[in-house]
Amino acid sequence: MATRERRPGSRRFSPAAAGADLLLVLWFAFSLFPILWMILLSLKTQAEQTSTYFRFTPTLENYTTVLSSEGERITSVDFTGALFTSLVTSLGAVALSLAIGVPAAYAAGRWAYRGSGDVMFTILSFRFAPELMVIVPLFIIYNQLGLFDTAFGTIWVLQLVTLPLIVWILRSYFQDLPEELEQAALLDGYTRTRAFLTVALPLVRPGIAASALLAFIFAWNNYVFPLILTGSENPTVTVAVTRFLGGGGQAYYNLTAAAALLAALPPLLVALSIQRYLVHGLSFGAVKS
Amino acid sequence: MTRTDTPQRPPAGEGSVRRISARRRAFRPYLLSIPAVLLIAGILYPFGLGVYYTFLNYSAMVPEPVLVGLANYAVVLSDPVFWESVRVTLTYAVTTTVVETVLGAGIALLLFRASLVGRLLERLLILPLMIAPVIAGVIWGLMYNPQFGVLNHMFGLGSTFDWLSEDRALWSVVLVDVWIFTPFVAVLVLAGIRSLPREPFEASAVDGAGALYMFRRLMLPMMWPYILVAVIFRFMDSLKIFDHVYVLTAGGPGGATRTLQIGAYQNSMTNLNFSLGSTYMFLLWIIVFITARYLVGVLGKAQRRAAGTED
Amino acid sequence: MSTLELRGLAARYGKKPVLHGLDVSVAEGEFFVLLGPSGAGKTTTLKCVAGLVDRTEGAVVIGGRDMAGVEPYERNVAMAFESYALYPQKTVADNLASPLRSGRLGTWTEAERAARIDAVTTTLGIDHLRERLPKELSNGQRQRTALGRVLVRPADVYLLDEPLSHLDAKLRATMRAELRRLGEFSRTTTVYVTHDYQEALALGDRIGVLRGGRLVQVGTPAELWDAPHDTFVARSLGQPEMNLLPARADGGVAITGGGLAVGVDTDVSGPVELGVRPRDLTVTAGQTHPGGFRIRGRVELAERLGRSVELSVRTEGVGPGDTLIAVTDDPDVREGTSVTLSTEHTRVHVFAGGGRAPGPEGDGRAGHAHRVGNARPRTDSEGEQR
Repeated sequence: MATRERRPGSRRFSPAAAGADLLLVLWFAFSLFPILWMILLSLKTQAEQTSTYFRFTPTLENYTTVLSSEGERITSVDFTGALFTSLVTSLGAVALSLAIGVPAAYAAGRWAYRGSGDVMFTILSFRFAPELMVIVPLFIIYNQLGLFDTAFGTIWVLQLVTLPLIVWILRSYFQDLPEELEQAALLDGYTRTRAFLTVALPLVRPGIAASALLAFIFAWNNYVFPLILTGSENPTVTVAVTRFLGGGGQAYYNLTAAAALLAALPPLLVALSIQRYLVHGLSFGAVKS
Repeated sequence: MTRTDTPQRPPAGEGSVRRISARRRAFRPYLLSIPAVLLIAGILYPFGLGVYYTFLNYSAMVPEPVLVGLANYAVVLSDPVFWESVRVTLTYAVTTTVVETVLGAGIALLLFRASLVGRLLERLLILPLMIAPVIAGVIWGLMYNPQFGVLNHMFGLGSTFDWLSEDRALWSVVLVDVWIFTPFVAVLVLAGIRSLPREPFEASAVDGAGALYMFRRLMLPMMWPYILVAVIFRFMDSLKIFDHVYVLTAGGPGGATRTLQIGAYQNSMTNLNFSLGSTYMFLLWIIVFITARYLVGVLGKAQRRAAGTED
Repeated sequence: MSTLELRGLAARYGKKPVLHGLDVSVAEGEFFVLLGPSGAGKTTTLKCVAGLVDRTEGAVVIGGRDMAGVEPYERNVAMAFESYALYPQKTVADNLASPLRSGRLGTWTEAERAARIDAVTTTLGIDHLRERLPKELSNGQRQRTALGRVLVRPADVYLLDEPLSHLDAKLRATMRAELRRLGEFSRTTTVYVTHDYQEALALGDRIGVLRGGRLVQVGTPAELWDAPHDTFVARSLGQPEMNLLPARADGGVAITGGGLAVGVDTDVSGPVELGVRPRDLTVTAGQTHPGGFRIRGRVELAERLGRSVELSVRTEGVGPGDTLIAVTDDPDVREGTSVTLSTEHTRVHVFAGGGRAPGPEGDGRAGHAHRVGNARPRTDSEGEQR
């Protein structure tokens, strides 16, 4: 165990260190191979997808196919439209959660009023509740209300994903914010609303950005809600990708790979941009980094 | 120090002081929570409706459902298919949690050394975690393909080896879960180790303690709360697993990967028997609830003990 | 500038009652110091005045107006927090500009604001730090910035919570000396909280001693020094703390366990405590002629603190095993020396009632004996020590 001395960049060779590095390389080989494989597959032509493994002439044709009407002909799903729907529903879900969650998180983090614990734990329980318990009744309700297969319907149900994340992360940010900062603002002559807006809010901006982006990732990546609550009009991109698997009674592995990569790209880019805050968010504020 | 003069200006609004009663002030946090509470109500309503369904005979075939009491529970609890689903779910959840915890903690310890290799690779750690699980399922489905999949080719297994056969499918979907979620455990535990105070280690190094002793007596107890947080998240999520399993096997073959959520999906959405599906879900919900209560209790105890160690 | 009155002020912190009915009236322009150990309720008192903590009973009256239900931003009160509470995202200049920009404390043009901030930062010696962020300042600089945010604005009442506590010893002495000379404090009613008796004595027009959420005594520094209300107040002021000698009074005479006797008022009887400040004791080597209040003893411990020497003296006249603290400038007094400690009878305070000697600081429940007057020579002139 290298607990006693942490020497970043120590280059001294030792068999134990080399063994440790080898283990790490093994894990990352396992971890990154499927992604690399997908990239290769997505660059193959229809003919090469089953005939070769590693040697082929790369082409970007699959990506244009997936995004064009040709792709829609194969899967009967408009992939570009699905990308747009995912963007709208994910952003919409995050925006709604922020509008509802920031005041609630502030109230719970600042005052610990009676019943705040109950509200917070009910919100948290959404994160761990089996989704179908809510979706099946919602499926029926949505059909009655005409919300089935609409962007708003998806935004509403995605609150189960985005709201717990945002409320719990932001509450821990508000809790860490010294109350006396706002008290100082009150004595400076600012009303409580202005004290919140000019003092508290700017200081939790990193938390808002991190939780919003993480919530965006999870909203984008969600599958089970749009699987049941959307149809052919407003499917999200996760649903659309799976349509390539059995599309047209023919194997389109190269197209599937291209679609999968297109769908995976936005969350990956967002994730790399917020890596510093990721742990705090992933653990709902339980682990700080 | 020099004398400074404060211009004495009357404060704005002198004489007309607004008073706010203490009761109105105490109400403020509730006011801020009203939207959240309304939204919670909007979510709890379908949940309650789902529970109500479990007492009906509600399906596409029965246009006018009636109360049937506990009949659905009797049907489900006496159905071997349900118990097989329970077995599959628990096997899946326990296996993935154990494997991911051990692997993830190990990777965290290896990355904590901060070797050159480790620092280069660390940024890539979370990539699988950020890909939608259903897309991970799609990717692995292509790799598992007996005829064209890259795995059979690379390991020379021929075209007859089926990763998703009845006796192998569960372990193959477990492998995908391990691929996706081990990084989750690793980043949590890594952040935990990095936040540990260094003084106890320095003190016991001064006392001449061995590396193994320090790991077992100091590092492990202090890491334990972080590991437990990861375990809780992984186990609870595994109990309701759906996405990548559904896209890989749809619960098959022959129910080998039919977890409780997939069973509920089939009952509700394929067979359109909403009552039976809801009964599956409510029973799963009870399992999740009891497990959560238990694990959170364990976590609280571990956190208190770790805090004691740090003193 | 305004008067400030607390009428039976009671408050809780969370569920714990912290203040139990404070009554005090601070005059216009007065500099009032609240002195007390940590946990006595000093900060809570300030926050009640500011409206940041809700009182449970009683009233805060500023300028004759009851502040019940008045929001903090409408009380025209300025406060320097012990935690500084500087806005971390704003520079020193912007922190100071904050109250001037709120619009509630009069309207200020850009130039007026700049001039005002300029004057205050120069006064406090932080004018070179104006563009720094709080995280780039030392604790002492932060504290002065917090003080600046108070001084920069007009207010009816200034509330200062331990504003010198984080300064180093030298700077604190300088600031303490300069603080009173600031024009702002001579004109604005100020409540100043501290646990440092020297600050209290040096700065306060009057001092209120707070213990366990109750005001034990309110008075001028001289009143508190010469006639402390009880042993708690007596021991709060002065370093080293006042010596307390347990004794028993009867018929106008108080006798310690060791047989030392002094005259007291005839109506005092039962257990009493005789209080003598260490610096009031004159230390003489060997024995001296009779007269005055005298105790013989042997030096057990001599701590040299620069010019003066702090002595622990095992005495013969106080009681079995009792030691007294005394201070001398004589460098020849060392451990083992036999000495006589003497003082005027008028320097010996007599406390009665309340029972045992005070417990640890801040323990509001421990019995503290009340002062009943000074000792005097025994009338039967038989000599003090038998």
